[in-house]
Amino acid sequence: MNCQETRRYWDLFYDSEGDAELHFQLNEHLDNCVECAEWFDKQSRLESLIEQRLGVAASVELAPQVNWSSVLTGAGVTPAAKSRSWLFFSSSILALAASLLLIVGMYGLPFGDESPSLSYLSAEVHQHVSAGSLRPEFESRSDIEVDQYLLNKVSFPVRCPPRKDSGFAVAGAGLCELSQQPAAYVVGTVDQRPVSIFVLSKDSLDAFPKQRAELQRMQLTTCREGDTEMVLSIVDRNLVLVAGNVDSAKLTRVLKSYGTYPHTL
Amino acid sequence: MALPDREKAERFVAYLEPIQHQLAVYCSRALNRADETADVLQSAVATAFRDFDKYSEGTNFRAWMFRYVTLETLNRNRAAMRLPSELDEQQLSAPRTLDITSFRLETLLDDPDAVLDHCDEVVAESISQLTDQECRILLLRAVGDFKYREIAEIMDIPIGTVMGLLSRARTQLRSKLLDYARQHGLLSKGDSA
Ligand SMILES: [Zn+2]
Repeated sequence: MNCQETRRYWDLFYDSEGDAELHFQLNEHLDNCVECAEWFDKQSRLESLIEQRLGVAASVELAPQVNWSSVLTGAGVTPAAKSRSWLFFSSSILALAASLLLIVGMYGLPFGDESPSLSYLSAEVHQHVSAGSLRPEFESRSDIEVDQYLLNKVSFPVRCPPRKDSGFAVAGAGLCELSQQPAAYVVGTVDQRPVSIFVLSKDSLDAFPKQRAELQRMQLTTCREGDTEMVLSIVDRNLVLVAGNVDSAKLTRVLKSYGTYPHTL
Repeated sequence: MALPDREKAERFVAYLEPIQHQLAVYCSRALNRADETADVLQSAVATAFRDFDKYSEGTNFRAWMFRYVTLETLNRNRAAMRLPSELDEQQLSAPRTLDITSFRLETLLDDPDAVLDHCDEVVAESISQLTDQECRILLLRAVGDFKYREIAEIMDIPIGTVMGLLSRARTQLRSKLLDYARQHGLLSKGDSA
């Protein structure tokens, strides 16, 4: 395959379409042609930035505009009054359909007008990941691959996952929303036990008054929901929460090593 | 009219809830008037719920539901005599590769953030200038994360058409972004040429 042919297949390559043979040939060319490899990278980066603008970037401003309960009522869909939490729903469906996007909205959560805390929502997601009822949309044991995956998925910067010497072995990553705040999560293990790292924009702190007040008093806070220990801090432009069923000293070590890698870009 | 079966409604909502947000983003982007989003979703949901007995358990509910929303957005835009529909024929005969000088495209590729950081509105506006089909295919791919085969099923068109139109939609969108960037001096490396 020459350069021109290779580039003609960029769409298929980018969208992971076409057969294995085609991808083999494309990869073979890209491995041996720096110009095309660079060209593919640039095309893909631009496209994923555009997609981000079309999808994720629209989410924050759009979410409040659609009142789903009135949409459903207006459409004649009237299930029995909700007694379950939203997360219960989403996880069972996700387990079935392996849906790509988990949106942890406040809708239906048993909190009345008060927003659930960041720790409550993070612990819920972490428990579903630990139990296997939620699989991250991207699975890899390479921190660089996970970093690359998250690079253009959210509108705020996300740093590279913690290094292995912090005791954290990465396994994958995904996206979610916590009280309508976009978040990236990185999953992995510490001492073979599941640990999840949630990364939000620092600005999201306004949606969680309890945590905001705590972080105004101290740099790093710890808390617990059920069996899940959590540590929370602001790192550069991110709000970072590490959750796991291991002691908080180990979680703190993971948190402190978050973002100590210089970003690859 | 008989009241809808509670169990059917519960099952439907359980399927719908995880994709509500994606549907809302898709719908608002696909509509000429974003303020009609809730109304269009309501019509699509009503029709899908009516047909929910025909949905076979275990198949792709997400694609099934997106089909209803796609049809509803198309109907709504056509009813509003959306301008791009009138241009369909003209656009279909346009060359697939637009006249983007390689230099200008290079500058966009080298520093896409410089342009895209200013372009949220432009991206939204530009997709509304695509043909209905191109716009939906691009959104189903970018927002819905569907495979070509699924898009073909949702749109009821051949997979080859999906590929061709997606490629053209991407080219058109880049061209619009470049135009905007040039007009607003966002391409730093001397694009005044
Ligand atoms: Zn080459």
